[in-house]
Amino acid sequence: MSTSNLLSAQFDDSEEDDDFNPQPADLSDAEDAGGNDDEDADNQIKRDAARQKSKGQVSDDEDGVNRDDEDEEGEGEDTAPRDEDEEEDEEEEDEEDEEITGHRRKRRRERRNQFLDVEAEVDEDEDEVDDDEDENELGANFIADTHPDDLADLPAGGETDDRRHRELDRRREMEASLDAEKQAEILRQRYANRNRSSRGIGDSVVVPKRLLLPGVDDPSIWAVRCKEGKEREAVFSIMKRIEERLGTKDELAITSAFERGGTQSTMKGFIYVEAQRQADIMTALDGLMNVYPRTKMMLVEIKEMPDLLRVTKTPSLEPGAYVRLKRPPKYAGDLAQVIDVTDTGLELRIRYVPRLDYGLHEDTNAPTDAFGKRKRPMAGPRPPQRLFSEVEAKKRHAKYLQGRPDTKTWNYMGDEYVNGYCEKEVKVQTLITTDVNPTLEEVTRFASGAEDGTENLDLNALAASLKASTANASYLPGDIIEVYEGEQKGVVGKTVSVQGDIVTMAVSEGALKDQTIEVPTKGLRKRFREGDHVKVIGGSRFRDEVGMVVKIVEDRVTLLSDQGNTEITVFSKDLREASDSGGAGSLGKYDLFDLVQLDPSTVACIVKVDRESLVVLDQNAQVRTVMPSQISNKLEKRKFAVATDRNGSEIRLDDVVKEHGGEARSGKIIHIHRAFLFCRSTTSTENAGVFVTRTASVATVSAKGGRIAPTNVPDLNTMNPAMKRNPQGAGSMPPPKTTFTRDRSIGQTVTIRKGPYKGLLGIVKETTDDNARVELHTKNKTVNVPKDALGFKDKVSGQSIDPNSRGGAGGRGGFTSRGRGGLGGATPAAWDGGRTPMAATGVERTPAWGTSRTPAGGANGGRTPAWKSGGDGGRTPGWADGSRTVNPYDGSRTAYGAGNRTPAWSSGAKTPAYGLSDGFAAGSKTPGYGGGDSWGSKTPAYQPQQHQSESSWQNQPASNGWSSNAYDAPTPGANASAPTPAAMNAPTPGAYSAPTPAPYNAPTPAAAPTPAPGWGGGWGAPTPQAMDAPTPGAQQGYYAAPTPGAYGVPETPAANWQDDGPRYVD
Amino acid sequence: MFFLYNLERQVTLHPSYFGRNMHELVTGKLLKDVEGTCTGRYYIITIMDTFNISEGRILPGSGLAEFTVGYRAVVWRPFKGETVDAIVTSVNQVGFFADAGPLPLFVSAHLIPSDIKFDPNATPPQFTNNEDMVIEVGTHVRVKLIGTRAEVGSMYAIASIKEDFLGAISVNGSRYLSK
Repeated sequence: MSTSNLLSAQFDDSEEDDDFNPQPADLSDAEDAGGNDDEDADNQIKRDAARQKSKGQVSDDEDGVNRDDEDEEGEGEDTAPRDEDEEEDEEEEDEEDEEITGHRRKRRRERRNQFLDVEAEVDEDEDEVDDDEDENELGANFIADTHPDDLADLPAGGETDDRRHRELDRRREMEASLDAEKQAEILRQRYANRNRSSRGIGDSVVVPKRLLLPGVDDPSIWAVRCKEGKEREAVFSIMKRIEERLGTKDELAITSAFERGGTQSTMKGFIYVEAQRQADIMTALDGLMNVYPRTKMMLVEIKEMPDLLRVTKTPSLEPGAYVRLKRPPKYAGDLAQVIDVTDTGLELRIRYVPRLDYGLHEDTNAPTDAFGKRKRPMAGPRPPQRLFSEVEAKKRHAKYLQGRPDTKTWNYMGDEYVNGYCEKEVKVQTLITTDVNPTLEEVTRFASGAEDGTENLDLNALAASLKASTANASYLPGDIIEVYEGEQKGVVGKTVSVQGDIVTMAVSEGALKDQTIEVPTKGLRKRFREGDHVKVIGGSRFRDEVGMVVKIVEDRVTLLSDQGNTEITVFSKDLREASDSGGAGSLGKYDLFDLVQLDPSTVACIVKVDRESLVVLDQNAQVRTVMPSQISNKLEKRKFAVATDRNGSEIRLDDVVKEHGGEARSGKIIHIHRAFLFCRSTTSTENAGVFVTRTASVATVSAKGGRIAPTNVPDLNTMNPAMKRNPQGAGSMPPPKTTFTRDRSIGQTVTIRKGPYKGLLGIVKETTDDNARVELHTKNKTVNVPKDALGFKDKVSGQSIDPNSRGGAGGRGGFTSRGRGGLGGATPAAWDGGRTPMAATGVERTPAWGTSRTPAGGANGGRTPAWKSGGDGGRTPGWADGSRTVNPYDGSRTAYGAGNRTPAWSSGAKTPAYGLSDGFAAGSKTPGYGGGDSWGSKTPAYQPQQHQSESSWQNQPASNGWSSNAYDAPTPGANASAPTPAAMNAPTPGAYSAPTPAPYNAPTPAAAPTPAPGWGGGWGAPTPQAMDAPTPGAQQGYYAAPTPGAYGVPETPAANWQDDGPRYVD
Repeated sequence: MFFLYNLERQVTLHPSYFGRNMHELVTGKLLKDVEGTCTGRYYIITIMDTFNISEGRILPGSGLAEFTVGYRAVVWRPFKGETVDAIVTSVNQVGFFADAGPLPLFVSAHLIPSDIKFDPNATPPQFTNNEDMVIEVGTHVRVKLIGTRAEVGSMYAIASIKEDFLGAISVNGSRYLSK
C-alpha cells in the first residue's frame, strides 16, 4: 500500500525535479499548485509525499502500484539524470543551510496568508499600501469587520452593505481617475510583490527540504530481516495485508514499508518498515512469508533515514552501447556490444568477438573423469579474438556445429554465432558497464562490414559509451568548455580550476557572462572552433596527433593533421588546444622524417610515427611498418651531402628538386643517400609528403639560399676573402715541417752541450723534430740528445757554426763569412767555386727544396740555384741584400738563416711574404747567391756545371743575362769574390722593395761596385731570363722583390707567389 | 595584413671587414639575412630603411663585432579571419592547396561549399560545381583564413571558401594568369 507508493513517489520526484526529497509540507503551496497544470505531476507527488509524511495518511493503492511498475520500466532509461541529481542535491542542501532562516520566516507568513484570501483582498486594498505591511492589519480588520459587523450591524439595517458598495464605487472611480502612469506603478508594485513572493515560494520548494527530514516525532523505521531476494515480495504482501485489513479493527498501524534490495545493494536482506511503535510492526508482519520480524529488528537512526531513500544509479544500457565482460575468464576484459536489453534491464543480449581455438589445443586423449566427462584442460594462452569461422570449426568440431550457411548463423559448442560474433544473453551483473573506455581499435572490430566492404561504425553508440566514462576527460584551466546538459546547458566559458569532478568555469558568453560557476564534468564538453590548433590526447588511436580543426559536428571534431595532411575525426573530449607549434612525432630516438637503416642495403625514411610502430618509406619506395627494434641504425643527417642532378648541377639538402618524367613530383630534399633522394613535398598527403627518387632523375628547381646564383655579398662572419693571402686555402701547401727534407743537421759534427754526454763530440746520424741521435766520436755509441743541446761544429775547422745553418757547414761557412764576415770571409769559404758544384750537398738540396732554398744551402753549390733565385732576384739585389742584408737585417730575421730558410719554401708564399718582403727579399737575395751565381756566371766554367745540377740553371740565362749586362764584367771581376753578393747591393733592387733595399744599401755601400752586377741581374732578370725571371718578376709586381724565391723557384714558390700576386693586385 | 614595423637585429661582422664601409656591409648583410624571411608569425617582405646602427661591440672570443641595427620593414602577418587571394598549387580528394604569396594554405573539402565537388576525372583534377566555379591548379581563389600555424621559419594556414564571395575569381576573364 502506501509503502511502495512513498518510495515510488520519491523516485519520480527526483527524476523530474533534481530534488530527491519531498517538497515542503506547505499546505498552501499544495493548494496553489493544484491550479497549475504544468506543475501538477510534480506537485501531485509532492502532495502525496507531504500528506503521507505529515499525516501518515495512506494514499490510494492503485496509484502507488501503477507508479511502481512504471518506475521499474523507466529505471533503465533514466539513470543518468538521476545520478546527476544526486550530486546536485548535495550541493543544494549546502546552499540551503545558509538560506533556511530567511525562508522560514517567509514560509510562516505565507502559511498565515493561506487562511486569508490575500489576493482577493489586495484588489480591494488601498493601493498605496504595501501588501506585506497591510496583510496583518487587513487580516485583523477584515475579520473584525466581517464578523462583528455582520453580527452586529445586520440587524440594524442594510446600510452597511450599502456603504460598502459605495466605498467600492468610490475606489474604482479614484482608480480610474489616476493617470495611467501612476496606475501602472501601482500595478507594478502590487504584482511585483506578488511575483517575488511566488518566486520565493518556488525557491522554497527546493530549499527547505531539510525541514522535512524526519524528527523525533515522526514514525521510526525499523529494518526487518527477510529472505534475501524476496524483499520486494515481502513488501507486496505487506501491501496486500494492508488492503485486506483496511477499515477493520486490526488495521495495520504501520506508515510505510519499502525495500532496497538488488544484487548490488548493501541493503539486501532487509525490508524497512515505518511505524510509531515496534509492536505495530510485529503485528503487521506477523505470519508473513520470508520476513523474520522476530529476529532482531534494527532501528534506523533518524539521521540515517534519508539515506535509505537515496537513489542509486543502475547502469543504463541501450542497444549499441559497449560493455566489458567479467566472465568467463577467457573473455574477461573483452569488449562487447549490447544488442538488446530486456524490459527489466537486468538481462542483456550482447555480442562479442569470440576467442576460439576450434579444438586445436584439445587433447583428445585426455583422461575422462568418473562421469565420463573430459576434464577441462587448463587453457594456456587464450586464443586471440577472431570472428567465428565455420570452416575452422568444421575441421575438428563438425559435430558441435549446427546452423545454416545462408543466414550466417551458427550454433557451435552451445553458443550462437551471428556474422562471426558470438551472441549471448547475459545478466548485467556479469558485465562491467562503467568506465568501459573502448579504444577505437576495439570498436572497429564491431564495425559491421557492409556489403560493399565499407565499415560502418556507429559513432553515436561509441560516443555514448565514451561519454559515460568521464575518467578520461580531463579539463585544464584555460580550456574552453561548454555545458551541454543540465540546467546550464549552452553556457560557454573558460575553465578556471578543476577539483575532482567539479569544474569552475568563468562564463564568457550569454546572460551569465563574467560569472564564475561550478559545474560537474559530466555535462561538459570542450569547445573548439574551426581553425583551432589542437592536439589529440586520451585514448584515441590518434593520440598525439596535432592538427587544425576543419569541421565540428556536435562533439565530433574533424582535424587536419599537421604531419600527414590527413583528416581525422575524434571526440572533442580527446582534444586539447595545442599551444606548441606542431610536435613532430617521435618514438624513442626516432623522429618523423629521420633516415634509418633497415638492413645493410636498405635505408628508409620515417613517414609516420605511431605509438608502437613506425611507418617507413624505403629506398625502393616501399612503405613498411616496422617496430623500432627492427631498425638497425639511425643515420644522422649529413648536412653537407652533395649530389648531382641529371643536369650535373650540384644538389644539397633543402634544395627543391623536381622529378624529370615520372610523376614530376617536386619537393625539398630531406635526405641524400647514395643515389637516392628522399624529398618532401608539402602538397602531397601520401606518406606525409615524402617520396624517394634517384638523383639522376631530378632537376634542381631552386637551391637553398640561391646557391646557383651566388650572392655578391660576402659572408661577413668569416675572413674577408680579399684579405686572404692564399685563396685556395692554406691546404694547398702547408709550410713544410722542419723535417720536411732531410734534416740538415744530419751528418754534422756536433758537440753536446748539456746532459750526461756534455762535451762530447759526435756526428748526427738521425734526427727527429726535437732529438738527434749522435754518434759519439769517443765511444762507439749512438746516443739520443735533444737538439737544443747540440753545438754545431765545422767539420774541418772545428769552429762553432750557427746551428741553423744546417746547410753544409761549408754553406755556412760561406755565408757566414759573407754575411758577416764580409765578403772576404765568405769568399774563401766559398771557394767555393769548387764548392759550388761540390755543393753537391747544396745542390742536392736545392732541387729538393725548391730552388729557393737552394740558395741557402746552396750557398755554395747552392748558390747556383740561388741563382735562380738570383734570377728572381732579378732583384738580385735582393740577394745581394741577402748578403748584406744579413747584417742589417739580421736583426730582423736572421739574415742569413732567414735568407736560407725563407726562400726555402713556400715560406715565400706565406709568412715572409709580405711584411718581410724585405726580409724576404733578403732571403731571396740570399739566394742572392744568385750573386753567387753570378759568380758562377762569372765563372763561366761553372755554368755548365750548374746546368748539370739543374736545367733551371740553364735559365740561368740570368747569368747570361748578367753577363750580358755589363755586369758580367764586373762579376767576373767580382769573381770569386763572394763579395759579389755584396754586389747584391742591389740595393738598387732595394729600389724595388723600397724598404728592404734601402737599409741594405746603406750598409753595403762598399759592395757597391759589385752590386752593380747584382743589379744587372735584377734588372736583367726580366730581360735576359726571358722566361723565368721576367715572368715572376713582372707578375708579382713589387712583390717580386721578395719573390726572388719565386722566381728562382720556378718550381714551387714561384707558383705560390704568382697566386698571391693577383690578389695583391686586387 | 601588411604592417610597417620597426624591428631590431644583431649583425656580426668579421674583423677583416672593419673599415670605412662597415655600415654598408652591415646593412647589406641585414638585407640578405632578413628580407623575405618568415619569423613564424609574419613575413618580412622588405626593409624600408635602417636607422640607428649601433656602435660595434667586439664579441669576446671570436673577435667579431656585433652591431644592433634598427630597421623599418614591411611585414605581412596573416590573421585568422583574413581574406586573401591565392593561387592553387595542387588539388586532391581532400581539398586543395594554394599559395597566398609566401604563405602555403590548405582548403579542406569540408570547407568547400557542398555544391562544389571534386572531379577526379577532369584533367587536371578539379573542384567544380559544374557551373562557373572551377578550381584547378593555377586558379586564382579568394579564401578566408580560418587558422594559421607557425613553425620555425615558416607558416601554414587553413582556409575556407565556404562563404559568400569566396572561391575562384577570374582576373579579367582570364583564370590562368599565373601560368
